[in-house]
Amino acid sequence: MARRALSWSRAAAIGWRDLKSAPGKFAFVVLSVAVGVAALVGVRGFSESFRHTLTNEAQSLMAGDLSARIFRQPSAEEEKKLAGVEEKIPGTQSTWVVETISMASVPPDPVPLLVTLKAVDPAQYPYYGEAQLEPNMTLQQALSGDSAVVADEFLVRLSAHVGDNLRLGGKNFRIAAVLKQEPDRMSAGAGMGPRVMISRAALGATGLLAPGSRASQRLLMKLPAKADQAAVRKQVEAALPDAQVMDFKEGNPALSQGLDNATAILSLICLVAMVLGAIGVAMAMHAHLEQRMDMLAILKAVGANSADLLRIFLLQTLGLGFLGGLLGVTAGVGVMVALPAVFGNLLPVHTQLGIPWRSVLAGLGTGLLTTLLFCLPPLLDVRAVRPVLVLRRLVEQAPSGIGAWFARWWARRLQLGIAVLVVAALGGIAWALSDSAKVGGWFALLFTIALIVLLLLSAVTLRVLRFLLNRVRLQLPSSLRHGLANLHRPGNQSAAVLASLGTGVMMILAVYLMQGSLLHEIRDTASPKLPNVFLVDVTSDEVEGIRSFFQHQPGMTAPLDLLPVVAGRFVSLNGKTLDELKEQHFPRRMLENAELSFADEIPAGDKLAQGKWWTDSNSPVMAVGEGTARRLGLGVGSAVTLAVGERSLNLKVGAIYKPDGEHPGARVSFELPSGLLKDEPATWYGGAHVDTKQVASMERALFAAYPTVTVINFADVLDRIESVVDQITFVVRFLAGFSILAGLMILASSIASARFRRMREAVVLKTLGATRMRIVRTFSVEFSVLGLLAGTVGVAFANLLTRILLHRLEISYHFDAAATTIALVGTAALATATGWIASYRILGLRPLEVLREE
Amino acid sequence: MIEVRNVMKWIQNGSRRVEILKGISLTIPAGQFVAIVGASGSGKSTLLGLLAGLDTPSSGEIWLDGTPIHNLAETQLAAVRGRKIGFVFQSYQLIQTLTALENVLLPFELNASGRGIDQARSLLGQVGLAERMEHYPVQLSGGEQQRVALARAFVVDPPIVMADEPTGNLDSSNGQLVLDLLLRRNRDERTTLVLVTHDAEVASRADRKIVLKDGKIVEDTLPTASGEEKHESEVAHG
Repeated sequence: MARRALSWSRAAAIGWRDLKSAPGKFAFVVLSVAVGVAALVGVRGFSESFRHTLTNEAQSLMAGDLSARIFRQPSAEEEKKLAGVEEKIPGTQSTWVVETISMASVPPDPVPLLVTLKAVDPAQYPYYGEAQLEPNMTLQQALSGDSAVVADEFLVRLSAHVGDNLRLGGKNFRIAAVLKQEPDRMSAGAGMGPRVMISRAALGATGLLAPGSRASQRLLMKLPAKADQAAVRKQVEAALPDAQVMDFKEGNPALSQGLDNATAILSLICLVAMVLGAIGVAMAMHAHLEQRMDMLAILKAVGANSADLLRIFLLQTLGLGFLGGLLGVTAGVGVMVALPAVFGNLLPVHTQLGIPWRSVLAGLGTGLLTTLLFCLPPLLDVRAVRPVLVLRRLVEQAPSGIGAWFARWWARRLQLGIAVLVVAALGGIAWALSDSAKVGGWFALLFTIALIVLLLLSAVTLRVLRFLLNRVRLQLPSSLRHGLANLHRPGNQSAAVLASLGTGVMMILAVYLMQGSLLHEIRDTASPKLPNVFLVDVTSDEVEGIRSFFQHQPGMTAPLDLLPVVAGRFVSLNGKTLDELKEQHFPRRMLENAELSFADEIPAGDKLAQGKWWTDSNSPVMAVGEGTARRLGLGVGSAVTLAVGERSLNLKVGAIYKPDGEHPGARVSFELPSGLLKDEPATWYGGAHVDTKQVASMERALFAAYPTVTVINFADVLDRIESVVDQITFVVRFLAGFSILAGLMILASSIASARFRRMREAVVLKTLGATRMRIVRTFSVEFSVLGLLAGTVGVAFANLLTRILLHRLEISYHFDAAATTIALVGTAALATATGWIASYRILGLRPLEVLREE
Repeated sequence: MIEVRNVMKWIQNGSRRVEILKGISLTIPAGQFVAIVGASGSGKSTLLGLLAGLDTPSSGEIWLDGTPIHNLAETQLAAVRGRKIGFVFQSYQLIQTLTALENVLLPFELNASGRGIDQARSLLGQVGLAERMEHYPVQLSGGEQQRVALARAFVVDPPIVMADEPTGNLDSSNGQLVLDLLLRRNRDERTTLVLVTHDAEVASRADRKIVLKDGKIVEDTLPTASGEEKHESEVAHG
């Protein structure tokens, strides 16, 4: 007779009633799944919305249909060619947007501030989108006459107000409004200071755009609807061969790439939280099945087989996973809405958030799949339940010894096989999330190893604690002893809690320690002779004056080092034109827009690697930096043709040099004899080391004498770097926090699943005369020691990981006692708080209430 | 001495009030061994729980050596339980994470000052578990666990010991052993022993037998000098 299996609906009904019997316990299981799903949906949903914004608002984000950026002023010839392009397509409009850095002050206060300056033609700019100003007005109104608009940060840092004057170069402007948002903000890059916008007409009068200036010049074009964009693009590329040309359809490739990379990394961080949650669910299901042994045995005794039981608990797990997934999706949308605040200034675009359906489905699917995969091994244990349990609770125990150990594992070979499948699936999920098979594989492998090591370490830690406790237990105060002994309560998932909480602590602390060590390295290991003040955009006319200024400047600890830079273009290398060299992946933009310098002696700090430096300042030779020479395949004797201004120079490479990276010269890789370049318009860059206490007064004096020279203070740069690094690590720490949350949910679920045991313990203690405080002390010891141990595991691993990573970066490692203490105490406090939240009502129970339920 | 004055206990089950005890009054003098018997659901365990201060009555009064325990604050009630009453449960109720010795020591640590370790060891020796002191409950048989529970109930020398079906989960020889230990304590130390049981033989060894039915005392049999039973009242207390 064919055997009838338990129907799916009957299995679902049994599973549902079983779930209803312990809603508190399963609530935390659902939350364990929800935590990971929320993090993943939040990150990927935000990324999806961000990409959507990039696509939908592409024209506004570029402020035009086509843009071409060069780092020099366009020549008359180029302007003529561009005008030709425009003429061919009636209805085409174009405008140039200039972006540079400069010094600005608010008179009469002489303190200058480094700002990011943008000059536009407000009659044209922007073609799409609009600049938001406060008070509300058009850009054309705001920039009429000698007016400027500035970012909030400018007003705050210089204590200025709308209506005040600001000084830029040699000219005063009235602050007409606050610049709240500009459509093409992301095209401007990170910038070095608060943003200031003026009209192009007014820029000329500031004297900031000297001949040879390396300021960014961006051509914006608006094309009529029927224009052939690809054809126009080709014509613009031909007119400006060294330009970076983009049309709005390709968006911002660098930003898209950055977004993809960030999404991949952040998704993997979320996956850690999700896997920890899934492990928690698996542990909870294992504990649940142990508590349901009687029910399982009864079902088997009345004819159910393992497949029937598996069906009940599989449905139960799927139900919990689905519920957790739904809750996670809802919370994930909340995370997505919170992320712009977490990302802070890192985002150049105001993201329009919507329901990210793809991410919702991906999060839900990943959550469900991960939960199911991790729960399969414990669920398969139902096969081992023996119906004889109905008759007697104690069945014969398996023999001990190595043979028996192997036999036990052999009996669990299916679970082991599934464990391998789980790791493979984890790799697959990581692959899908990171879009890289290699990253996915490494993630699965390293994460599995880390988890196994963490679990082993946690188990060993608990064993050691028990060993020590057994040696001294009667000497310890009663509540402490009892609390510590409770860590080994049957059904407690202490090792899993330690591993999961420890993973979260490890991730957050490792990121913090890495951040601290990197910034410490930058700040404290800088040589006192390295420049701490940089000069930008010094014209040839100003060079002597500037030299003299610094000679008389107090507090100079290293003399001013000035470097001329002349714009040039490589025509051929070793007899081959750039077009002929196309296949060799040469840095074409660098060659078409080459920065050249001149020196008749080897510059300070550089070392001659090959050949010899010229003695005749008119020799047709040049020197190339070692790294660049290797990249371009140049050596001593190589032939090079350069176009500088209207001239063509045929040169031989006479020397290869090695820059030390500590002088301004390091920014230029091509040195020529002075006779070949000194009559060309040059921009000079400088570096000096000034006593930090004297920097502010030096800046004030220099700005008064040379208002068009930009000064970059290394301390300000460091502040900028710190703020960006802070912001990035904050995002990572925010997401790593979900792992901590997953760990806490596992702890809560473990406590809730042993709730009856704990209730009985509390009432037995009460029966024996214990007060509430005594019970509070005992349980608090248990929770806080668990947190402390998890903190210890996390702290140990974080320091180990940081040490290894820093060693690879050749950065010294320092133990951070304060961070370690905060991590330990914080984890203990969190664990104690979570423990008590999960143990609600236990203290108020009356003994007879519980004892009668037995 | 324990005095119970018209105690009632009910629980609210939705809109329905379920009465468990319907006006119980009785007095138990110090040193008496009282067996409370009755069918399942008669209210005997509830009565024992109220006498031990494990719950509070819905109405009525309970006095323990002149102290009214029916309206004591929780902390005071805990102190009374800890010092005056030793309790033995049918299902032992040992703390699974503590060893036998630690379980016995627990009431001492909660209620008494000084070191009770010698007392705990001695009591475990008296109940025949000198060799099993460092074992965890899970490593002990049912009979051994109940003997640990007895030692725990005796450790602070409480004047009253209450036991709820202490032999209910044990085989006859272990049950006999446990009962002997309880009776010896009652005889040698003059502790009051209140014991709930189903077992007629156990009840027959008591000084006094109180029979409960549907939340009322239907029979209260006092001992007599001749050994004959004297029915103090039939339903007088009910």
